[in-house]
Formats: sequence, structure tokens, C-alpha cells
Amino acid sequence: MEKLSAKSDPIYLGEAIVKKALAVMIQHNLVKFQASERNNNVAEYSMMHHNVYCLIRYPKYLYMIKRIYGTSEEILLEILLNLGQASASNVIFHSANRLNEANDSEVLSPSALHQSFQRLAQDNFIIRCPKLAENATLLKVPTLEIEEKEKFAVPNVEIEPIARMLKEKATQLGGHCDSEIIWRVNHERFDIELRNVILVNAAARRVDTTAGELYHLILKLWRESSNPDSPATTPVSYNVIKDAVRKNDSSPILLEHFDHYLRVLHEDSAGLIDKPGDAGGGQFNLDYSKVFENLACASLDSIVLERFGSKALRLFRLTRIQKFMEQDQMQNVAMIPAKEAKMFTYKLLEHNFLQIKELKKGTSNFAPVKSFILYHVDLPQVVRTVLEASYKGLFNAMVRQMHDLTENKRLLEKHAMLESMLERLKGDDGVPEEEIAELSDTMHPAEKSLVEKIHLMSDNLTLGQTQADETILILESYLKFKSKEL
Amino acid sequence: MGGRGRGRGNAVSFNIEQLGFGRGEAGPVSVTQPPPLFPSLENRPLPLIKDVENEYILVTQKDLSTRMRNSPFYLKKSENPSYEKELPVLWNRMPAELRETLPKRLATGNSKVTLNAKKKKVEDPDKIFAKLEKKERNESEVEEDGDGKEDEDDQDKSDDEKVENEDDVEEDLDEEMDDHTDYANNYFENGEAYLEDEEGQDDGEAQF
Repeated sequence: MEKLSAKSDPIYLGEAIVKKALAVMIQHNLVKFQASERNNNVAEYSMMHHNVYCLIRYPKYLYMIKRIYGTSEEILLEILLNLGQASASNVIFHSANRLNEANDSEVLSPSALHQSFQRLAQDNFIIRCPKLAENATLLKVPTLEIEEKEKFAVPNVEIEPIARMLKEKATQLGGHCDSEIIWRVNHERFDIELRNVILVNAAARRVDTTAGELYHLILKLWRESSNPDSPATTPVSYNVIKDAVRKNDSSPILLEHFDHYLRVLHEDSAGLIDKPGDAGGGQFNLDYSKVFENLACASLDSIVLERFGSKALRLFRLTRIQKFMEQDQMQNVAMIPAKEAKMFTYKLLEHNFLQIKELKKGTSNFAPVKSFILYHVDLPQVVRTVLEASYKGLFNAMVRQMHDLTENKRLLEKHAMLESMLERLKGDDGVPEEEIAELSDTMHPAEKSLVEKIHLMSDNLTLGQTQADETILILESYLKFKSKEL
Repeated sequence: MGGRGRGRGNAVSFNIEQLGFGRGEAGPVSVTQPPPLFPSLENRPLPLIKDVENEYILVTQKDLSTRMRNSPFYLKKSENPSYEKELPVLWNRMPAELRETLPKRLATGNSKVTLNAKKKKVEDPDKIFAKLEKKERNESEVEEDGDGKEDEDDQDKSDDEKVENEDDVEEDLDEEMDDHTDYANNYFENGEAYLEDEEGQDDGEAQF
């Protein structure tokens, strides 16, 4: 965490820009400040790395909210992401505006949006920012504080002023009663949700979709009863799970074969459900470190498979499971010819997937010293290497995308303007066909195909970034829970 | 290394067979240059997953980035100082030093120099002291060099720079002069420099 006093590089950027940039970053929860210890009038700024990284996950957040709740919550979240930090009334006002723009008829009233806002706060997806301390306006560096119980409490929002402003088509909401109560997106909660999505998908893939449904329910129970930072959840008894399944609107298959599914999930080697005891019909919990170790290993396996081939994968898995192996042993158990085995072993070693441990076996002083060379997989080290490679891949994709878009900026802008003009003309029916055709011809077909290509490449790079992010999430979670268990 | 052991004769600690190639075959190719920057891909990577979620993500990502780019939050470097949109930032929650640009910016460019002159009088006695000390040091260095011309050149340079560094002069009011070291400023004898913040210069400009 680096602490900078303000204005470290005025010569290159100009001081006003530096100040504004800092203000914008603080507004968007990327930078935080506190009064310096030596002097209360000077602020020290530090960057919140995780939040900056999470910028790439914003579309995923929106997708999750859309799936869990619906469109109005999705718009509320999008407005909050655009504003960074805002009061509830402001968010509701802007969301209503956005929805009206999209629909052309006033479908949602501010009070409905207010209820959606409350739902988001109840499930902790949005959180209140610390508020100004009493004498903060007098200080040069304001102190901000918040109590635990206030973090998700939604204040009363006056609906009438908002409705009035909406009718008047105002662009800004003026002063309002809850303007001092500021909200922001709760990144930690979204991280938990992303992890849960991975686990539910794993359950659905190993067994089937109904099992995924069951697992989703159980995850909810665990989340309600456990501390999010602990490496394993608190156990939940069989009866509680059964009640929850009955209460929830589950599919009839689940109700019928609930027992079955629970047993299958428990016995599956992925460690999705653990059974630490038998009280209450069976106690079930989730050991995060075990599950994420299995997930990380699965990711590593598929990486080795795609990069080096299935024979290398066999060697890798063998060494990982058997812990320490000699070269001869490896090629015998894996049933791969000696030369190939040696080549793959060397390749894996070169790329740091395998590690070497040498054991000397000195017998007598007269015979030359013999040493055993054992191969093993040091999982945290391999995971860290692959994580670095994923970061680099993600970075490369982003740089390439930025490069492509800025190089062809002029062309892309011209194309965008052309498209919007064509749309407008098509809307007015009284325009002759020839004009439209003529307008289309201002852009050469070669240019148009180039624009297509650029869009396609940019899309692929975005998809690549999203998928790299998923791998990064799994590997980071593994390392996080591994360090907790120690 | 093996072979230098106390054992007799030419025995080495590894068998040739163990290394994986027989006597007649050539050894491994020696490396003569660093590995290529873009190594060739042996296996083609799997295709990207294109399902409903990813389609949605594509559209949303483009939407979000366009909105952010068009929003007032997107700061452009060459901003016209006379016309400015107010940043929709919650100013009362930020440190005071970040807020100060706003009122000053409303003043036109011409009056900036005179504004500064007036502001100098309002400063604390401490800062005036510190400045006087530095001035003395500046003058003593100029005497040592015995080159009056240098000072003039610096003044010319500083006049040019003033157009860009106008903003720097403004931040005097709550700067902590006492804690910063001044040697980097004196090194360049830039007449403008005694009012600037020195923090960044230590990193980029100290030359030895």
C-alpha cells in the first residue's frame, strides 16, 4: 500500500488535473485517503488494488443481479456503478430517467424502485459508505466513520420530490433529505456470489442441474449461518436442509430424490459437501480450502492438457497424486515410452509445473556419490506461476484491444456516425431510397469490412479477458483459503 | 561435481543411460540466445465460450465503457481552462486540498499572476521565512557561479513554463515547506521553482 502526499507529479500533468483525477478515483472507490500521522491537515492517499481489479467484473455483477432479481435492480446497480458513490434518492431518480428513456412510457414509479433498492441492500449487494464525523467539515481532511449496524440500513426516501422532478424532465435531482447517506457497491459480497456461481456450476456439471439447484439452496443456508471469512462453513443439519427444500419452490424431482442428491453430492470426490458428523440426521458443511484445491487442480490439469498434450497431463496428474516420484517410476506407471516421458518431464520442469528434489545417498567414501532425483508438484508454487501467467494474458488482451481501438479511432467514429444517421433516416419514412443508398456508399466496402473485423477482434479479446478472469478467481480463491488454513 | 570424488578412475556419478540418450546420439542442443519474445504456439487454444452470459457481458461492457467515456468523470488532458463543467463528485467528503481548484478556476487567466501576488502577502510568517532562506541560498549559488546570464536564461525559461505551470503556483496555501528538502530546487536554479512542490522532483530529476 503506497501512501502518496498529494500532487507528486505536477510537471507532467498539471496540478488541476491531478487533483481532479484523485477526486474522481476517490468517488469511484478506487483510492482512499486518511489524515497523515505527522500532520492532520495533509491527506495520504492509497490505492485499493482489489477494487481497481474488480472494474473488469462489472458486467458480470450486472448479469448476476439481473438473473437473481430483475431489470429494475439491474438498472439501479448500473447507475450506482456509473456514479461511484451516490445517495439512494439520486440513484432512484437517475434509474427512473434511464428506464423512461428506454421504454417511452412511465412504467416504473419511484416507490417501486425504492423497494428494489431495499432488496439490494437487504442482501448486502450495496453498502453504505462511512459518513462524515460531526466536526468533519471543519477539518482539512474529513474523517469518515460508520457503525456496523448502519451498514445496510436504507433511510426513508421522499418519493414526491423525485416524482415531481421526473415529471419536469429535470436532469439533476436537487437537494434531498437523504443526501448525506451515501451508498456504494459492496465488492466483497459480489466476490462471494461469483465464487458461489462457480461452485453451483461445478455441482451441476458433476451431477446434473437439479443437483445444482439443491447446492444453490444449501449454499444460501451456509451463507446465512457462517462467517464469510472462515475457511469452512458452520455445519447445517439434514433436517434444516430438508425444510428449506420444502419451503422453497423447488422442482418436484428435487423433492422426490432429495436424499439421493444429497448423498451423491457428498460422495463426489470434488468435496462439494463434507459430512463432519451425524447429529440431526447428518451434519453437512463446506470446506472451502478442499473444494478450491480441487478446482485449482482441475484448472491446472486442463492448462497442462491444452499446452502440452495428454501424455504430459498423465505425468502431471500422477506426480501430483503420488507426491514424490522418480523418473523411472513415472514412465512405468504412466505407461509412456522412456524417451517421450523424459521429454515431457523436462518440458513440465522447464515451465515450472514440476519441481525437483534431490536426495543424496552417500554410502561409502570410495564409491561415487549417488543421488536420487525426485519430482513433485508444489501446488501453491505452480498456482502462483499460472496466476502470474493469467494476469499477463489478461493484460496483453487489454493492451491489444486498446491499441486496436485507438489506432482505428477515426474509422470507427466515422462508421458510428454513419450508422446513427442511417438509423435516423430510416425512421423518417419520407426519405427516398437513393439517399439512403448514397449515404451508405460514403464508406467504402473495404472500410466496412475492416470495421467488422475490428469489432470482431475486440469482442473476442473481451471474451478472452472474461474467461481469464474466471481462472484468476479460482486460483486466487485457492491461495486465499490455503493461507487461511495455515 | 561428480567425478571428482575420492573414488578411483573415471567413474562419474550418473549413467549415460539415465540422461536418456545412448552413446552415439548427439547431446541436447545448446542454447545460444534468449528464448523468442513470441514463441510459436504448438497447440491451438480452445475456442472461446459464447453462451448467453458472455453475449450479455459483451454488450454490457461496451455500454458501460461508452457511458463512462461520455460522462464528466472522463478527464481529458487538454481541457480548456475558461470553460469547465462541474465534476459530479461529492466534494464535501474529500480532503480540502482537492477542492481548491474550483474557485480559482473561475478567475480568468490574466488575473492569475496578480492573484498570486496578493496571496503571497497572506501567507504565514513561517513560509515567508523559508522562502527568504531559500532565496539567500539561491543568491549565494549564483554568486559562486559568477554567471549573471544563467539567471536571466532561467527567468526566460520560467516565463515560458509559467504558462503551463500556472496551476502549480496556486497551491501555496497549505503546503508544508518545512518538511521538504530543497536541494533539488537549488540544483536547477529555476526561478519559478521555489513555489513549487518538490516531492516528485526527487524521483525524476536528481542527477549524480
